[in-house]
Amino acid sequence: MTTVELPRRRGTELPRRRGARRGSGSRELTPWLFATPAIVLFTCFLLIPIGYALYLSFRGLRLEGAGAFGRRTEGFVGLDNYVTALTDPELLAGFGRSMVYGAIAIPTVLGLALLFALLLDTPRARLTSFSRTAIFLPYAVPGVIASLLWGFLYLPSTSPISYVARELGGGSLDFFAYPTLYFALANIALWSGVGFNMIIIYTSLRAIPAEIYEAARIDGANEWAIAWRIKIPLVTPALVLTGLFSVIGTVQLYSEPATLRPLASTISSTWVPLMAIYQEAFGNDNLGGAAAASVLLAVGTLALSLVILRFFQRRAFGDA
Amino acid sequence: MSTHSSEPRRARRALGVGAAVVAASLALAGCSGAGSGEPGSDGPVTLEFWTWSLKEADPAAQAIVEKYEADNPGVTIKLSEVGGTSETSSKLLAADRADEVPDVVQVEYRALPSLVTAGVVRDITQDVEPNRDAVADNIWALSTLGGQVYGVPQDIGPMMLTYRTDLFEKYGVEPPTTWAEYAEAAEKIHAADPDVYLASFSATQLEFFSAQAAQAGAQWWDTDGDTWSVGIDGDASLETADFWQDLVERDLLSVEPLLTPEWNAKVNDGKVLSWAAAAWAPSVIYSVAPDTAGKWASIPLPQWTPGDASVPFLGGSTYLVPEKSEHAEEAAKFAAWLGASDEGSELLLTLDLYPGGNAGREATLTSDPPRLMPQQKDFYEIADQVIDDTTIPVVWGPNVNVATNAFGDALNKAALDGTSFRDVYTATQETVVADLEKSGYTVEQP
Repeated sequence: MTTVELPRRRGTELPRRRGARRGSGSRELTPWLFATPAIVLFTCFLLIPIGYALYLSFRGLRLEGAGAFGRRTEGFVGLDNYVTALTDPELLAGFGRSMVYGAIAIPTVLGLALLFALLLDTPRARLTSFSRTAIFLPYAVPGVIASLLWGFLYLPSTSPISYVARELGGGSLDFFAYPTLYFALANIALWSGVGFNMIIIYTSLRAIPAEIYEAARIDGANEWAIAWRIKIPLVTPALVLTGLFSVIGTVQLYSEPATLRPLASTISSTWVPLMAIYQEAFGNDNLGGAAAASVLLAVGTLALSLVILRFFQRRAFGDA
Repeated sequence: MSTHSSEPRRARRALGVGAAVVAASLALAGCSGAGSGEPGSDGPVTLEFWTWSLKEADPAAQAIVEKYEADNPGVTIKLSEVGGTSETSSKLLAADRADEVPDVVQVEYRALPSLVTAGVVRDITQDVEPNRDAVADNIWALSTLGGQVYGVPQDIGPMMLTYRTDLFEKYGVEPPTTWAEYAEAAEKIHAADPDVYLASFSATQLEFFSAQAAQAGAQWWDTDGDTWSVGIDGDASLETADFWQDLVERDLLSVEPLLTPEWNAKVNDGKVLSWAAAAWAPSVIYSVAPDTAGKWASIPLPQWTPGDASVPFLGGSTYLVPEKSEHAEEAAKFAAWLGASDEGSELLLTLDLYPGGNAGREATLTSDPPRLMPQQKDFYEIADQVIDDTTIPVVWGPNVNVATNAFGDALNKAALDGTSFRDVYTATQETVVADLEKSGYTVEQP
């Protein structure tokens, strides 16, 4: 039915002209209508909150009137919050701690993810879909639950590792002491993060045309040479992407240390920047200070991401 | 035809989504404007009660609610548990800013000043006037700030040391009556078995360190008219810092947070033998180590000066009525009944709480000892004696949270690194004073 009607309609001049005449106004409007949902969502859930956070960062609770129990009311405090955040040694120290954590976690997670992806991609690999699912599965466990699970595995009285160590004649292992704590935390990230990153890299590997491998084999390349000379260079964009996600994840580290904090004396209430911000906002009821620190953290993350992208852009994407 | 009609249909659908999103965001915006009902209006009233002591699933709590509802037709009590003191405080502040507050809220006494100065709490001095005689003055003082009553006392914490009678006997240790004896006991126990400690040292228990310093004569926060004074780095306070530093340095206490799976396991295994806290400690220990019941006893807290039994209260909660509650009068009436009437305070005892009201306190004397120590028949007599000795007033500042984090973080670090505990107290003093001044309060300079 459509095939009959279609050409007939197309053949008539009238509807098209009518459309053109009317369309001069609606044609300009139509793209906006299509974009409306995105614009509304973007405005409601991104622009307005960002604007509100900026507004809050210049406000604070100050005493109104007098009295030992006088009421604090919200007012404009200028750059006070920014000065406090920038001069807070704990916020900077927290940033430093998350960087140490990142220096351990990111190379290990990405290295293992790449290794697993390459292994799954070798022609001789067996049980690939099972292995892929098995490696990916921990990613499905929420970060808070993963941290609790590992917390129990780390605490001397409940830890099977410490139990074995004691049975063998050694003492309990203190996973929460420095510097082991960093590795203990990185291990949680490793356990849950490898699978996700592996999938991205693996997907990118599967997209490489098979002819390239055939050509390489004809030239006498073995699997090792193919992995090193062809696969890794071709998945570099995926590595840069996962690396960028990992860096952002490191700066935004929160749930693992926050969940383990009640179990470990070594994790302070301001151990990483987001914990300090949470504490400021909800513990100390200082939304302004928390907003200022959040703005600084967001700007820092953006700057860091741009630097990383710029550095890798030429190598990964071949841009000048 | 279908190919043609699909385009406008898609556009219409997109418009529909757009409209739905706009509607949704309008609805979201509408949330903040919600909140209807005339304050103090007659007719059926539902009071939303945030509490962790009255649990909805607990038949004893249900009985209390049903009793009140039967005596006060038209009033319905809705219980909800939103967490402990810090979660409840955060949530209440957020609820206040959103104009969607509950009607009665349970918090620990130390959280009251920060909520009052945030303008969240209603002054209920007039509402509780008829109930004044049902609660002792030194207990009303816990929820009275600047002469105005902001809360009805629920329970109190007479300070006590709860310890393992069987293991103290095994290691040949007498229950300590002074802090010097406490240190000796710690030494003796740890020397007998290096895996066993008298107690755990948890740096995050600011309230305990504050109470113990108060016992030595310090007053961490105090008001004189409109002026605050902060005494965290006073001489008496610093001496208590030295006491703990000595015990931690000699590895006579295990440095770790309380009530973790680790701590619970140690309490069950007889590796941690005591907890210096308050009369509520037995029910907490029972909840994590029920199998050890019958092996514990509670005695008054060790003293600094032999013969000086005076202590402050430690912990305990109060019921406040939010400023923006739509049924503030009914809410205050219910809170006053539950915490400050003979009937209510006796009922609170059924929840395993140590009631603040006179009748409830009297009823403890004829009731069974806590489940953790069924053999200790004089538990409540000792607790009652401790209340008589509780003569040190407790004053909390509007920035207890700031102090708790600064103090806990620094003390943990000092305990692990072996640096000076005195510096922790001095640094906390500076943080607390700076924070008070930043908010605009007048602080007395020493």
